[in-house]
Amino acid sequence: MGYIMGKAEGSVAREEWHGHVTALSVAPEFRRLGLAAKLMEMLEEISERKGGFFVDLFVRVSNQVAVNMYKQLGYSVYRTVIEYYSASNGEPDEDAYDMRKALSRDTEKKSIIPLPHPVRPEDIE
Amino acid sequence: MAARGHVQDPNDRRLRPIYDYLDNGNNKMAIQQADKLLKKHKELHCAKVLKAIGLQRTGKQDEAFTLAQEVTVLEPTDDNSLQALTILYREMHRPELVTKLYEAAVRKVPTSEEYHSHLFMAYARVGEYKKMQQAGMALFKIVPKNPYYFWSVMSLVMQAISAQDEKLSQTMFLPLAERMVEKMVKEEKIEAEAEVQLYFMILERLGKFVEALEVVQGPLGEKLTSELQSRENKSMKLYRRLERWPECNALSCKLLLKNPDDWQFYLLYFDSLFQVIDQNWTPPLEGAPSAEGEVHASVAQSISFINERLATEEAKESKHLRGPYLARLELIRRLRERSCPEAMQLGEPLEHMFQFFVKFGDKPCCITDLKIFLDLLTPDQHVQFINRLMEVVPLGMAGEEGEAFPADTRALQRHLCVTQLSRSLGLQHALNTGGKLSLIKELKAHYHHGLQFGTSCLKTELQFSDMYCLMAAHVYLDLWKETGNQSMLWQCMGLLEEGLTHSSSNAQFKLLLLLLYCRLGAFEPVVDLYASLDAKHVQHDTIGYLLTRYAESLGQFAAASQSCNFSLRAYEDLFLAELLIDADKTSEYIIQAYKYGAFEKIPEFIAFRNRLEHSLHFAQVRTERMLLDLFLEADISSSLEESIKSMSLCPEEDDIPWENLRDNRDLTVFVNWSPADRQLKEEHKQCSVEEETLWLRLRSLTLRLIGCVSSLTHSSTPHNSEKTTENGVTTKPLVFPSLLSQLENTLNQAVQFTETPPRAEYPFLGPVASRLVQAVSSGCCQCQLSMFQLPVHLQELQSLGLDGSAELQTQISNLFKSIAAQLHDILEKCKGDLLEVGDDQSRTQHWFLENLVYFVETVCIVLWVSQYCASVLRPLKSTLQKKKKKKKEASSVTPAVLLGFQEFSSSTQNLLKDALEHIRSQEITLSALKLEALKLELVEASFTKTAMEKVQSSYLRSLQEIGELLKKRADSFKSLKI
Repeated sequence: MGYIMGKAEGSVAREEWHGHVTALSVAPEFRRLGLAAKLMEMLEEISERKGGFFVDLFVRVSNQVAVNMYKQLGYSVYRTVIEYYSASNGEPDEDAYDMRKALSRDTEKKSIIPLPHPVRPEDIE
Repeated sequence: MAARGHVQDPNDRRLRPIYDYLDNGNNKMAIQQADKLLKKHKELHCAKVLKAIGLQRTGKQDEAFTLAQEVTVLEPTDDNSLQALTILYREMHRPELVTKLYEAAVRKVPTSEEYHSHLFMAYARVGEYKKMQQAGMALFKIVPKNPYYFWSVMSLVMQAISAQDEKLSQTMFLPLAERMVEKMVKEEKIEAEAEVQLYFMILERLGKFVEALEVVQGPLGEKLTSELQSRENKSMKLYRRLERWPECNALSCKLLLKNPDDWQFYLLYFDSLFQVIDQNWTPPLEGAPSAEGEVHASVAQSISFINERLATEEAKESKHLRGPYLARLELIRRLRERSCPEAMQLGEPLEHMFQFFVKFGDKPCCITDLKIFLDLLTPDQHVQFINRLMEVVPLGMAGEEGEAFPADTRALQRHLCVTQLSRSLGLQHALNTGGKLSLIKELKAHYHHGLQFGTSCLKTELQFSDMYCLMAAHVYLDLWKETGNQSMLWQCMGLLEEGLTHSSSNAQFKLLLLLLYCRLGAFEPVVDLYASLDAKHVQHDTIGYLLTRYAESLGQFAAASQSCNFSLRAYEDLFLAELLIDADKTSEYIIQAYKYGAFEKIPEFIAFRNRLEHSLHFAQVRTERMLLDLFLEADISSSLEESIKSMSLCPEEDDIPWENLRDNRDLTVFVNWSPADRQLKEEHKQCSVEEETLWLRLRSLTLRLIGCVSSLTHSSTPHNSEKTTENGVTTKPLVFPSLLSQLENTLNQAVQFTETPPRAEYPFLGPVASRLVQAVSSGCCQCQLSMFQLPVHLQELQSLGLDGSAELQTQISNLFKSIAAQLHDILEKCKGDLLEVGDDQSRTQHWFLENLVYFVETVCIVLWVSQYCASVLRPLKSTLQKKKKKKKEASSVTPAVLLGFQEFSSSTQNLLKDALEHIRSQEITLSALKLEALKLELVEASFTKTAMEKVQSSYLRSLQEIGELLKKRADSFKSLKI
């Protein structure tokens, strides 16, 4: 049907401790049921419990369906990562949006203030 | 500690360039730089190790090893050397040496947390659980951190899991682990969720479910936060194990109130409800009805519970949940199964299913939801049901041909759902040929019409109407099966080819095309199709069977090699342990699990490894790959003996886990709307596994016998004869006869299997028949067996000599004659046109191709055994000639066995000439076929032609590859003289 994979990572001291969505996937025949939203909700809830400041994820800029869905779920583009995705032959393929949603611990929503410039994959942790 | 603490360690600076060279793959420069450094600083051991890494990476394993050992014996304690040696030994696949390294290091620096922890991980890498337990405790004594203590506990659990003796686990390892945790609990030192998880694991494995329940529900349970509803889920699992049905029922009730869409709890709710009813459970006189609150103990209560859930749902304006509606159908089913009259109170399933369709018919999942309840309908309701649904499908105005189409994707989805239900009810199967043809027309019209909705779809997305296309393909297949008219099959393939042009990510199109090309014996298009599926890791184990069955048998040897590699590479990626070269990867996962305290994942990793190690498909791929390599390469690019040595094939050893083989194939990978009576059944699966296992046995024995033949040939050559006489024996003389009799027995079983009447035919989308039936009927198995019998007789002849062995010689000569006749028969079964083109269609006779491959394989074996025969006969002949010269008996007769061999050799050469001639003529016939000339009426004719051309081209390539190989074998035969 579908699955979500994620992890908690980042430095607490630098207020970068957060939940990260590694993968989210719903089989075509089980789409349009709100499963992805439900799975995201679960990951956010666990990230809350673990005291994360925000939840983040990477998505292909071309994947408009996904980007819109994340926006509906309260995520915003934090930065663009240039050539984050590469093809199976190792050639650069596409840019990614790094999208974020602040959790309750980040009361001032500092974690989601968009960066003015795109970054390269080697510059992100 | 050595290098780390210093900011400016001069050695670090000196070593830096070597590290850089190694990182950049510049191994030669790394070696040079290390040499330079070692000239000045002889005591800089790390440089030596880095040099060794360079040597290892440039293929100089022996030198690298010597160098590494030089440093190891010094028992280094500097970080740089230790880490470099760890890397080196891992690359050498000698992780056990790392343990020695750190054992020495902790001996010298007994207080180092770092070295102790490296030692622990080194043990983890080689699975030394007992030593891990000790190392964990040693660490804890130096630095009393909880994780170290629990590493030790987990290592006890690992000893329990891996213990052969279950009693030992239950009475020693697990109780000890339990006590260790209890100690921490009593001292109130439990800190992390992982520690509670581990405690829970131990209690569960000990069968102490009551205690486990107490942990989960007590204060320790509060730490279980990483999984939502973790405590409830665990409690539920334990209630079930403890058969505490009232609690199970009450808890599922509560959880359903919280989330009325969680299907698993409906099932548990019903299971527990009927258990409670059957046990005549009554609530206690005082206190709560159960530890989890209110219990439902009657059908009436359950009916009202479900009705309440439905009422809540009905009251909502939007976003209705499917759970309650499906739960009602499930309850009706269960009540009917128990012949409860109350089932009537819940109403008519047809009506409910209709209403469900009205609500959810535009969701793609509606079909899978309703499909499982179709058996609630009586057969005479089927047509009525479909008609009723169709009435509420909004279709536009009917066009000229009477066809009406949906105006948007939601309407399309509804129409598609009804169509799928109709097929699932068998209504399509009941149509006659004409009916099916017009159904196909209709489905195709809907397919093409629906494409307009997906013009903006990304190439990774599917078209909304793809399922119509797939279903039309299925109906074509029905027609092909029923009428035997191959044009149905061609059109089916054409349609799928067309589908792929509109929807290039549709895996179902690809899978079905792949299956069809394979069935037609055309492997060429299959490799690309499979590659485009982009199967990942374990999928090669579950769906690789679609390919491997055909890879070799269709004579596309290069492609076969490639597809074996697909699978083997995946297995290499996945495997831990001794089994394949890369032992590190999965033990790496286990190490990570230790580091992060993900203890419950560790047994899962191990179970996963076992699943792969015991995979039937893996054993098949490995065996076929080795056979393929031998058939293709042995005696061509390198000698048979070298080939066998290079694949470390040891005929004495049987490394296939016969007793534990697992069938990991995903036999439900194809979308399938067949009604229940046409679905894959358990007996099909069993039969298929039996067939596959028998075939694997035959192939594995064949492989090992080839290995034996090679070592016999090798040891009977003059060069080695001295050695053998010294030892008094050739290689393990008993192996050959034993394998031979096993092969004979297995072949008998195989013949029996193929003759057992009447085996149920597998459903078309179910497992594929293995090569067994065709191989047996081609005669190749029998012929190979006969060939393998020769060495036994020849060994006898070798000890008897030519004089006084007349009877044996006749026997051998007869065997030669019989084999020649068998080979001739096999070749006869290869003769026929692969592809015939008539007026309006072309027909394949692909079995000729498969037989041709069996012929070639047999020829290879015949050649290798003949080489052995020659190696025995040659010295006998020369001795005879020497004798003749001495006695000057010019007129003496040539011994029967020598004559027999010569006749056999020449007749085989003639046969091979004949075979090559046949292949050439087939190639000419095939190339001359003009598919364009076919009069295909349909619009999609171009796609159908594409499919035909792919088959034609594939046949040609197969013939070429088979021809080339056979030519090489024929040449070897020519040079075989005694």
